[in-house]
Amino acid sequence: MTTTTLAVTDPRRERLAALGRRAAIRLAGGVLVLWAVATLTFFALRLMPGDPVLAILGGPSGNPTPEAIEAARVEYGLDKPLAVQYVFYLGRLVQGDLGVSYSQHLPVTRVLAEQGGATLELTVAALVLAWLLVLLLTVVTAGRGRLVGGIASLAETLSAALPHFWLGVVLLAVFAFGLRWFPPAGSDSFASLVLPAFSLAIPLAGFIAQVTRESLELTLDQPFVLTARTRGLSDLAVRFRHALRHALLPGVSLSGWAIGALISGAVVCEVIFSRKGVGRQLYQAVQAQDLPLVIGISLVVAAGYVLANILVDLLYQWIDPRQQEAAA
Amino acid sequence: MNTPILPLIPLCTALALLGCEKTEQHAAQSTQPQQGGTLVYATDREPTCLDPHVAGDMPQVFIAQQYLDSLVSMDSNGQIGPWLATSWEVSPDGLRYTFHLRRDVHFTDGTPFNAEAVKANLDHMANPKTQSSTAGGYIRQYRGTKVIDTYTAEVTLATPYAAFLEVLAQGFLGIQSPTALQRSRDQNCESPVGSGPFKVVRWDRQNQVELVRNPAYNWAPPTARHQGPAYLDRIVWKFIQEPSVRFASLQAGEVDVIEALPPESHEAARRNPDVELIIAQRPGNPTNGTFNLRRAPFDDIRVREAFVRSADVEGALKSVYFGEFPRAGGPLSLATPFYSGDFERSQEYDPARAARLLDEAGWTGRDSEGYRTRNGQRLRAVVLIGARTPPSELTLWEQVQATTRQAGLELVLDQMSDAQVTARQAAWDYDIRTGYWNTNTPDVLRIIFTTAFVQPAGVGGYHQNSSGYADPGYDALLDSALATQDAGLRRQRYFQAQQQAAAQYLQLTTYPQSTRLGIYKTAHGVRLEPSLAVTYLYDAWVNK
Repeated sequence: MTTTTLAVTDPRRERLAALGRRAAIRLAGGVLVLWAVATLTFFALRLMPGDPVLAILGGPSGNPTPEAIEAARVEYGLDKPLAVQYVFYLGRLVQGDLGVSYSQHLPVTRVLAEQGGATLELTVAALVLAWLLVLLLTVVTAGRGRLVGGIASLAETLSAALPHFWLGVVLLAVFAFGLRWFPPAGSDSFASLVLPAFSLAIPLAGFIAQVTRESLELTLDQPFVLTARTRGLSDLAVRFRHALRHALLPGVSLSGWAIGALISGAVVCEVIFSRKGVGRQLYQAVQAQDLPLVIGISLVVAAGYVLANILVDLLYQWIDPRQQEAAA
Repeated sequence: MNTPILPLIPLCTALALLGCEKTEQHAAQSTQPQQGGTLVYATDREPTCLDPHVAGDMPQVFIAQQYLDSLVSMDSNGQIGPWLATSWEVSPDGLRYTFHLRRDVHFTDGTPFNAEAVKANLDHMANPKTQSSTAGGYIRQYRGTKVIDTYTAEVTLATPYAAFLEVLAQGFLGIQSPTALQRSRDQNCESPVGSGPFKVVRWDRQNQVELVRNPAYNWAPPTARHQGPAYLDRIVWKFIQEPSVRFASLQAGEVDVIEALPPESHEAARRNPDVELIIAQRPGNPTNGTFNLRRAPFDDIRVREAFVRSADVEGALKSVYFGEFPRAGGPLSLATPFYSGDFERSQEYDPARAARLLDEAGWTGRDSEGYRTRNGQRLRAVVLIGARTPPSELTLWEQVQATTRQAGLELVLDQMSDAQVTARQAAWDYDIRTGYWNTNTPDVLRIIFTTAFVQPAGVGGYHQNSSGYADPGYDALLDSALATQDAGLRRQRYFQAQQQAAAQYLQLTTYPQSTRLGIYKTAHGVRLEPSLAVTYLYDAWVNK
C-alpha cells in the first residue's frame, strides 16, 4: 500500500517519468527528422543534373572507356530507376548500412568513424570555450554601469558578427605565422586544436553572451539578489551562486541551436586549418556528388543536432523545474 | 580541379604577406647526400585512391611515383629508356610488343616481378571493374598479354599504337604487386604495393600519407641520380588545401617541400633565401577553352579566329598570374614530345583582324549595347564555368570577356555546379568548354580532336572531343602517326597535326599546366620525373 501511494505521489519520480515521456516524444520526432533529412538529401543530389559516374571516374584528365563508365553505373546501382534506388537505399539505411562512399572507396561508417572524432573534438572544445568566455565576460561585467556594460556589449555584438573564415585567417596570421605559438595546419596535437576552437568559439560566445547578459541584468534587479547581498555575500559570490542559475536559461537553449552553427562553422575551420573532420569531408563529398557519404554525414550531423536539442530541453527542465509545471 | 573556398582568397593573400617573416640562419649547403631523416611534403589535393590505375587524377600519380616503378622510363628529351623492362621488340605491324624483364626485382610484399606481373597489371588497368579512367583510357588498344617465359611478356594490341611506350612510362601505368591486386579495389586503394624506392605504410585520411624507404631497392631507372635504396627513411605526405597556409608552412620550415606553389607567392619565394623553386611545364594540351563547332557562332572558322584574335590573353595572364604563367599558343605544351614551336604565335592578339573577320562572316549589325548582330541575332558565346574552377581561372576568363566585348562579341560566363557542366557538355549545350590534358604524348591530339572521340563514352553522353571537330583527313593523319615507330616520321605527322589543329582555331589556349615546387633549405636533391613533371623523391635527402 505504501509503495503504490509513493509511486503516485513521489514528486521526484513523477518528475522523472515526465522527463522520460518528454524524451520519448522528442526521440520519435527526431527519427522523423532523420528520415526527412535522408529523403531530402537523396532527391536533392539525385535530381541535380549531371552524372555522378563521371565524378567517380573523375579528374579533369580522365579518359574513361565506355565499358568503365557502364561498369561503374551498374556497381553503384545508378542504372536503376530513381524510385527503386530510393527504396533500396532506405531499406539498407534501416538496417544501419550507410553504404560505400563513391569517392573515398571506403564504407561510409568507416569515414565517419575516422573523421567524426576530430569534428566532435573541435565542436565540443569550441562550445566549452564559448561558455568560458561567456561566463568570464558577462558575470564580471553585467550591471556594472553603462560604460562597462556598453563596452562589453559592443565587444559581444562585434564578435557575434565575425565570420568564421575571417577570424580563422586572422588567428592564423597572428598566432601561427607571426608569433608561431601554434601550428598553422594539422589535427594531430592539442596545440593544433587551439586556433580552430577559438575561431569557432568567439562568434558563438558573442551570441550567447548577449542573451545571458540581458537576463543576468534582469536577475540582478530581483529582490532575492538583494536578500543575498544583505546576508553579506561578496559581489562575485552573489553573481556566480545566485544570479547565474537564473540567467543561464536563454544561453543554454541557444547552445542547442549552436550545435548546428558549430557544424557549419566546422566546415570552414577544417578547410582553413587543414584539419581532419566530417565538415571538410562533407564539402568534398557534395562536390563529387558522393551520395552515400553526403547522406551519411548529414544524418550523423542531424542526429547530433536532434540529440543535443533533446538534451538541452531536458537540461532546461533540470535547471528550472518551474518549466515542467508550465509544460504539464 | 582545385577546391578553394572563394571568399578566402583575398584575405589569404594578405595573410601570405604577413607570413613573409624570414629566418636569417643559413644552413651550410650540403652537396653530399645524407642518409636518413624524414621529408615532409605538403600538397593541395588528397587523392581518393592511392592506386593510380583506379580513376587516375594527378594527385594519385604524384604519390605513385614514390612507391611504383614503371615498365619503361622517359628522359627529359622524351626518349624512352629501360626500367623494369630491360629491352623490347615491336612487331613490324606495330601490334605486338615483346618485353624482356629484369630478373632481380621484387615487390615490397615479397612477390617477385615477372611476366605474370606485367600481365596482371595491364589486365587490371583494362578491366572496367577497376574504374580506370586514365591508365585504362590510354590502353584502349590492349587485347592481352602472353607469358612467353618467366621474364618475357608479349603484349598484343588491336591497332598500331606507337604512343604505347610513352604512356607506359607514366606513373599512372605503374606496376603493382599482382598479389596485392588480387584484393578488392577498395583495399588496394588504401594500401597499394609496388616495387618502388618507398612503400606506403599508412594513410590517415584528410591528413597525410606516410611512406618509408624500401631497403631492398636496387632497380632505379637510368634517369635517376643514384642507385640502391633511397636516402630518406621516411616521407610524410601532407594535405594542406589552402595555398597561403601551405606557403607559410614552407617559410616557417614546418614542411620541407610544397607543391602547387601559388603564383602570387612566386615572387616572395624567390626573394626568400631559404626557399628554392622548381617550376616545370607539364606535357599535353595546355589549359584552354575549346570551341563547340557543332553550333553557331563557332561553326564558322572566321568567328573562331576572330574570338581568338580579340582575346588579349597575354594581358590577362599578366594581371591574373603576375606574369608567372607563360602564354601557350599552340595545341601542345612545349614539354610534349614532338612539340613544334611554330604555332606559339598563331593566337596573337589582333583586334583589327578580328573586326575584319567578323565583318566578313556577316556579323555587321550592332545592337543597342554595342554587340555585333547578324539577322537580328547577337554575337554571343557561352563558356561553362564549373564550381571547382579556381577563382583565378574565372578571373582570367573575365579579362577575356572584357577584351572580346570590344570586338562586339558577348561572352557569357555561365557558372554552375560541376555536375551541371558535365550534363551541358554531354548535351553539346555550350560554345566554349574549359579544360586541359596532361599526358606525355602528342597522341592527345587524337583524343581531343578526332571523330572517334566525338562519340559519347558511355550512356552519360560525355565525350572527350569537346570541339566536335570531325575531319577524316585529320583522323587518318593521327592514326598514321600511331602506325610508325620511326621517330622522324612521327615528328612529321605530329607537326602536320599541330599545324591543322592550330589553323582550325579549335581552342583558345591560355597557359600550360605546370608543376611548381617550393623547397625549403632543409631539403636537397628533389627532382621532377620527366614523363609528367611529377615530384620524385628517390634522389632527395634532408639536412636538418
